[in-house]
Amino acid sequence: MKAFALRLAVFALMMAAAVDVRAQNLGSTESSEHLIKAGYVYNFAKLVEWPAWATPKGQPIVIGVLGNDDFAAVLSHAVDGKKVDDRVFVVKRLKSRDPLKDCGCRILFVAASESARTDEIIQFQNASSVLTIAEAPDFAKRGGIIALTLGEDSKIRFAINVDAAAQASLTISSRLLTLATIVHTAR
Amino acid sequence: MNLRNLSIERKLTLLAMLTSTLAVVLSSASFLIYDLVTFRSILSQDLATEAQIVAYNSAAAMAFNDEAAATVQLSALTAKQDLVAAVLYKSDGTVFAHYYRAGSPKPELPAPVEGREARVASGHIEVFNDVSLRGERLGTLFLQSDMQRWNTRARQYAGILVIFVLLSGLLAWFVSSRMQRLVSRPILDLEQAMRIVSVDKNYGVRAVKTTSDETGRLIDGFNTMLAEIQHRDKALQRANNDLKTRTQELEDEIVHRKRTQEELLKAKDAAEEASRAKSAFLANMSHELRTPLNAIIGYSEILEEETRDSGPAENVRDLRRIQGAGKHLLSLINDVLDLSKIEAGKMALHLETFEVESLLEEMITTLQPAAERNANRLQLRVHGDIGSMHADITKVRQILFNLLSNACKFTENGTVTLDAERQPGSEDRLYFRVTDTGIGMTPQQQRNLFQYFAQADSSTARKYGGTGLGLAISQRFTHMMRGDIHVTSHSGQGSTFTLELPAKVAPEAAEPSSELPASPPVVETLSDLPARTTVLVIDDDVSVRDLMSRFLEKLDYRVISAPSGLEGLRLAREIQPDIITLDVVMPQMNGWDVLDQLKSDPALASIPVIMITVVDHEALGLERGASNYLVKPIDRDRLAEALDRHRRPDEDSMALALSGDR
Repeated sequence: MKAFALRLAVFALMMAAAVDVRAQNLGSTESSEHLIKAGYVYNFAKLVEWPAWATPKGQPIVIGVLGNDDFAAVLSHAVDGKKVDDRVFVVKRLKSRDPLKDCGCRILFVAASESARTDEIIQFQNASSVLTIAEAPDFAKRGGIIALTLGEDSKIRFAINVDAAAQASLTISSRLLTLATIVHTAR
Repeated sequence: MNLRNLSIERKLTLLAMLTSTLAVVLSSASFLIYDLVTFRSILSQDLATEAQIVAYNSAAAMAFNDEAAATVQLSALTAKQDLVAAVLYKSDGTVFAHYYRAGSPKPELPAPVEGREARVASGHIEVFNDVSLRGERLGTLFLQSDMQRWNTRARQYAGILVIFVLLSGLLAWFVSSRMQRLVSRPILDLEQAMRIVSVDKNYGVRAVKTTSDETGRLIDGFNTMLAEIQHRDKALQRANNDLKTRTQELEDEIVHRKRTQEELLKAKDAAEEASRAKSAFLANMSHELRTPLNAIIGYSEILEEETRDSGPAENVRDLRRIQGAGKHLLSLINDVLDLSKIEAGKMALHLETFEVESLLEEMITTLQPAAERNANRLQLRVHGDIGSMHADITKVRQILFNLLSNACKFTENGTVTLDAERQPGSEDRLYFRVTDTGIGMTPQQQRNLFQYFAQADSSTARKYGGTGLGLAISQRFTHMMRGDIHVTSHSGQGSTFTLELPAKVAPEAAEPSSELPASPPVVETLSDLPARTTVLVIDDDVSVRDLMSRFLEKLDYRVISAPSGLEGLRLAREIQPDIITLDVVMPQMNGWDVLDQLKSDPALASIPVIMITVVDHEALGLERGASNYLVKPIDRDRLAEALDRHRRPDEDSMALALSGDR
């Protein structure tokens, strides 16, 4: 754990410009993990391209966070003032009951607690070209796009389902793919 | 080794080889430098491109902090052999991931540089490139190359270049050593030919012309020069031979001439000897001839006078003919004597100063009878003040006499005019012009006028008489006095002779006196001593003494004669005569010695002495104190005139009375 904490600290230093240090106020390993994941989400946004219709010019990129308000807060801090192609980020907290269709999200973060809604999420993802990122380890295998998992070496890894991304009309940068575990939808 | 003393072959080879090698080296080196510079910039660009790719590819790994993935990315650069190091720096400058070439020492890492930069430093190419993701800078990539490929290429190229230069140099040597013969062969041939010429002196050698370039022309020129030398050599040889022959001929000629000269000298001596003999002979002959002539003329004159009074008239005529023939013979002898003297160069000038006008008047008077003989009028015209002249008066008189008597002789019932004129100027000269109205001469006659024995024609001599020597002698005399004589005449219209003489004649050498063989002395004294003017006649010739006595007694002189100089001196002291006539040429003691003794004796010095001789030495005589000088045969009129001057004063009236009687 000590090594992990050190690495986190290093990473935190690296992201110092991008992520608000108030996250340290959370003080727990959980908040560190949130901070890292927030960075990941930001990086994913840079390495994924949406179809033209989905990203009109000047429109902000809306990130929906489903089932974890703490993370939403951390993320909101992390992407505050950041831009990708002159578009700012907007973080929306989504409740378990909230319908997904109207949220206008381009990125949807699904907390582990919302694994039950996986099918619905996948449906939404395919229909609306939404980059879905879930903490459930089998999310990608089940048809989701990116699954964030905590490995045995306490390092956060991610798996990408290239089929699902293609189905959702998303283009994922090869540079991202080289870093990811590639999975295909189980049949 | 001095480059200048190399053979021309080596020079040419070296020249071509060095030039081509230099060109090859320069062009190769410039190509090499260009290539290496270009290659380095290519390498640099390659590395920059590489850096861009690697930076792009490793951006995601850096974004996700995936060190392993980044390391894997960098490890792909292993294929690049000259890449020494590849380092990814984080934005805070710390190393995120790195790759070092295996086997190479760990390089010193420089501080990261923002942006994009490529530099070459200490044999390395270093490239920095930003690593960024969607405009967000994450870090810096640093690549360092040791230019291994560049070095290898440089080494290889240098090697190739060296080999290439060596090969091309070798080829250039090979080609130039063959090609140079084009130039050097004719020159070497020419040199060979020249050596043969200078060592063997064989000018028949010719250099062979193989080309028609400058060398060819040089060879042509050389051959032409040789031909010219050969030609001149032959000409020189010929000329030398000619010269030898000529020299030999000249030597022969000189020997011949020397011999001739000796012969000529001998001949000249003989001729001079003969001439001397002739002159002596002539002088003796004249003397010997004149002595009897004196007797003939003198006695015939006396006889004529005596016969005129009493004898038959035909005898008088005959006697006159004897006189005329004698006088002609005498003048002939005198002329011949003069000529012989002139020819022998013994005729001398006796210069004195005299009044010209009185001389001319005397001449007119003398010639009046001759003029009257042909009923001619003789007139004298003196133009201006004629003054005096310094000349040989005897010769001037003789010349004028000759001219005037000729004029009178060849004119009848006409006029003979003597014009005299002085023309002072740069050279003070006198002109005497004798003009007659006589028969004149043809041009042919004028040409021969001054020749010996030249008269208008042979018939002239018979008709007019004369010796034909007068004009020739006159001309010689004139020339002796630096004067000139010439004639203008037309046949039938008279003649004009012009005598031109300098007013002051330059003196010449005095004539040596001549000696004559001695004859035994004859002493004869005339005892009749009347108290009249006494004349002492000193002469060795008895006929002269007799003639003089008879002639002088007729003129009422008391005559005493002495047959020798000694006797004459004795008598002179004894009787103190009023006048002495003295012969010059006498045996034992000649007239000059007598004259000297007379003049040195105070008792006798005042007695006037008249020299009477066959030898014409008037000037000498006058110089030594003689009062007059008469030349034999004696002209009685002149003798009478001369004596008359010295007649005793108390007898003058009587003498005048006597002359008046005649």
